[in-house]
Amino acid sequence: MNSYQRVMNTLSGRPVDRVPAFAILGAYGANLTGCDLRTLYSDAGAYLQAQQALQSSFGFDLVLAPFDFSAIAEAFGGETVWSGLQTPNMRRPAAPTVARALDLRLPGPGDGRLSFILEATRALAQLYQERVPVIAVLPGPGILPSLLVGLDLWMETVLFEPGAARNLLSYSGDFLVALGNALVEAGADCLVFTEGMACAEIAPRALFVDAVLPHLREILARIDGPKIISSTGGSINQTLDLLPGIPGVVGAVAGSRDDLVESRRLVGPHFNLLGNLDNLAFASVGAEEMQQMSLDCLQAAAHGGHFILANSGGDIPQATPAENLLAMHGAAVRYPATGRLQ
Amino acid sequence: MSPADLCQQLLNAMINADRAGAADIVSEALACGFAPAQVISDILDPAIIRLGKMWEEETMSLAQNFVASKIAEDTLISCLPDLGTKESHKGKAVIGNIEDDFHSLGRRTMGLFLKAAGWDVIDLGNDVPAEQFLEKALEVGASVIGASAMMQTTALNIRKLRELIDREGLQNHLKLAVGGAVFNWRPELVSEVGGDGTARNAIGADELFTRLQAEVKGPGAP
Repeated sequence: MNSYQRVMNTLSGRPVDRVPAFAILGAYGANLTGCDLRTLYSDAGAYLQAQQALQSSFGFDLVLAPFDFSAIAEAFGGETVWSGLQTPNMRRPAAPTVARALDLRLPGPGDGRLSFILEATRALAQLYQERVPVIAVLPGPGILPSLLVGLDLWMETVLFEPGAARNLLSYSGDFLVALGNALVEAGADCLVFTEGMACAEIAPRALFVDAVLPHLREILARIDGPKIISSTGGSINQTLDLLPGIPGVVGAVAGSRDDLVESRRLVGPHFNLLGNLDNLAFASVGAEEMQQMSLDCLQAAAHGGHFILANSGGDIPQATPAENLLAMHGAAVRYPATGRLQ
Repeated sequence: MSPADLCQQLLNAMINADRAGAADIVSEALACGFAPAQVISDILDPAIIRLGKMWEEETMSLAQNFVASKIAEDTLISCLPDLGTKESHKGKAVIGNIEDDFHSLGRRTMGLFLKAAGWDVIDLGNDVPAEQFLEKALEVGASVIGASAMMQTTALNIRKLRELIDREGLQNHLKLAVGGAVFNWRPELVSEVGGDGTARNAIGADELFTRLQAEVKGPGAP
């Protein structure tokens, strides 16, 4: 059974030989190929090479399309800051006000560095077709406007100007639909949406229900392919019960502080859960502890299937020892899966 | 209605993200004859303290904290209309996000609460190099710098500021407060980056800055 079969079978509840495992490794690939991060996040060939190096070093059950939200901010007219230590970040959003954001030209899914993301996705899909699934990560519809106006202003708008917030959600939503579908067309097997507004650390449940959930349903219904909602590392149990039934959503990433047993209770037996290893732990614990943490996750949530061992946040820290990634992978290999092939 | 009742109402408004309702409560308190200073000390301050406890217990979200900071600001403006021009009574605090860090929400909220508590806040914004922090602190005579970072990678840049303060021999004259989400998850980072202290949230910043300033001005200081 290859990684593609393993992941797709898990998502659809069919038997697997073992629990799939993956870590979000984007910038980490540059460690292996000696590439600088600006090249990694601008050149599809360099990115492909880095994912190949990660795949052959660790053998996780996915390859990752470029996970770089600054390219989205840039496509709207924002400014990016490049660092030698982490994925590029948004330095300045495109618009200082919501009114100005609504006047921005809506970018196409291939504008600016988004074309690099599509090109790298195509190359990964071509190379790993039906062997290793290609996962692409997008901002959730409820948090996307923060890439246009900044998180402070977006939060203020959601809280105090619901009409303006709805306008910006609607405007930015059309872009997200176009980009999501372009990624699926380029070969992404699954889309992960990082919806910060679903997390307890960002917004209370009532705000998510009132301001984001209807929009999330509407936008995701217009995007093809299986979709997963990510907690971006935060606690998502407060809204987890609301996610099954959203069009095309097949799973969610639990936060590292979520109780996985409770997560399972909230979503029922047939919804996929991923998680919930703490990103920061990867760089700060030893391999033995990492293996134990992985086994703890597996023991809490993997016995009924529909579970993928994964980290809960974004890109794994660059300082993570390779032994820790191997320990995580090794735990999944050793753990017996329900429905295991004989 | 007693200050305790009004405080409870204000706290409820903060928790429910009801900024307009909070404004009504403050207006009612002033209309009932409470002095502006009493509104701040007996209604706003206790609400903020209880809010801080809820944040520590992780029952508050960033959105609720954001609304609470806005309500605190609104209340101060209602009670102290000359807030922007009035001389602070606690001292000067220089704050900013450290070099390469662009997550400003926590820092801005901290600035509001420090201002609400009576600090003269000099906010340098995002992506502030160590040299700029020190230069501004010396220029305005601040005894506490607050450096904020959200991620581990950027938090490590605070070391440069620590080294700069030490290299200039200012460690007993200038204290370094550090904060941001990553310090809550990894408290050991505070000493790793050379921080003199941290607060779990913006609401606790006043207590931290007051303590650090007292260390500078205390009898043991040179």
